[in-house]
Amino acid sequence: MSILVEVFLYLATGAAYWWWTQNFTVYGLAPNLIFAAALSAAILAGPVKAIAWGFFLGLYADMLGVSAFGAYALTYSLMAYCVYVVKRHFDMDSFFSQLVAAVSLSWICMLFYMGLSLVFARFNPTGLKIFLAEPFLNALAVPVVFQLFYQAKRRTGAL
Amino acid sequence: MSREKDAANYALVFFAVLSVLLLLFPASKLAHTARITVSYSLYPSLHYGAKYDYFVRNVPANFVDLLETDQDNRALKEKVRNLELRLQEAAALVAENERLAGAMRVSRALPWAGSWARVVNKTPSDWYGSFFIDKGSADGISVNDTVLGMEGGRAALAGRVFEVYPKFSKVLLLTNGAASAVCSIAPGGMEALVEGKGTWLLRMSYVPEESALAEGAELVTAQGGLLFPAGVPVGKVTKVYPRESFMNFITADVSPHVDVNTLKEVYIVKRRLPREFLAPWEAAQ
Repeated sequence: MSILVEVFLYLATGAAYWWWTQNFTVYGLAPNLIFAAALSAAILAGPVKAIAWGFFLGLYADMLGVSAFGAYALTYSLMAYCVYVVKRHFDMDSFFSQLVAAVSLSWICMLFYMGLSLVFARFNPTGLKIFLAEPFLNALAVPVVFQLFYQAKRRTGAL
Repeated sequence: MSREKDAANYALVFFAVLSVLLLLFPASKLAHTARITVSYSLYPSLHYGAKYDYFVRNVPANFVDLLETDQDNRALKEKVRNLELRLQEAAALVAENERLAGAMRVSRALPWAGSWARVVNKTPSDWYGSFFIDKGSADGISVNDTVLGMEGGRAALAGRVFEVYPKFSKVLLLTNGAASAVCSIAPGGMEALVEGKGTWLLRMSYVPEESALAEGAELVTAQGGLLFPAGVPVGKVTKVYPRESFMNFITADVSPHVDVNTLKEVYIVKRRLPREFLAPWEAAQ
């Protein structure tokens, strides 16, 4: 049952991200719901499942992108591991720590992804506008996605 | 805890290696085509960039042709949209050109020197009261200059300049409730006062009861009025009211020749008015 819920959450995240970026971008900006879902899953789930979530969400982002295939998968897998390490020392369930984690990890992930793209695809797909603004949008999205995932976990045992 | 940590490490190594393998080894032709199909279907705009060649490597040529056809189609649709917009702009410019050419022909025949100005701002709350024009003191516009509008191939009185700023001016329309002009009724030349009512009609007052005022009579500005040059068409009498018992003159409705609703350009007549009619700073100059 829980695996079905997880598959549903995964597909819903992808669909929501696509729908938002197609219909609700403001000046070409939208929160990265894939990132928000990967971070929320990393906070809520155990380490193995969290890394798997990061990998598969990254794979979905790679499917949509034009850059090096596998770059997002690697980035979000590493991010999930980092969150696993950090959450043993900090309370990641709190709103403030999620905001801080969302902003800082957004920038770290973007820099890492840009590095991978430059090495493997020879171009930088991230514009300055996105680099500067998206982390703050992600910070707003992460607590919301976290609550949704948390409710799903509490009611169905998923994650 | 240690088991969990080991599991986390194994999972990280497994998925990281998998990701690096995906990065290092190019996907098979089929997998890459599937990726492009998904990506292009969901985000076609992503593929319009300069790195298209990189993205479509290792993809069958006929599929690339299909993508390029779709991109060409989108580009052409955008081009058609832009051309339609430009066509509409061109039609508006042609209409304006015809209107201005007609107005210029009329203005050349006018006995007064002046300049053209464009109506730049009409206030909805004061529609029949005033508007702004795009010429000001820098262009030689002065307070109380006569403002003419071109309607049906002839010039007619629209109002007068009320306030002057360096780059723009405010025009007080004749239809304004505070505006008036001494007019002469053709063909007899009897004079009466035409006043604005704040609507599209004017009111003519002080017409003697015994005068033979009839509907359709033409009004022009009178010789005796100081503000406006004589002989400027003003409007036409549309309705004559019978004398009220408490008044010793009759009134009439006048339809002005200039329609404020269609006025886009005006002709500002330069007049040499007496000093008393000038604004204080103009008089000082």
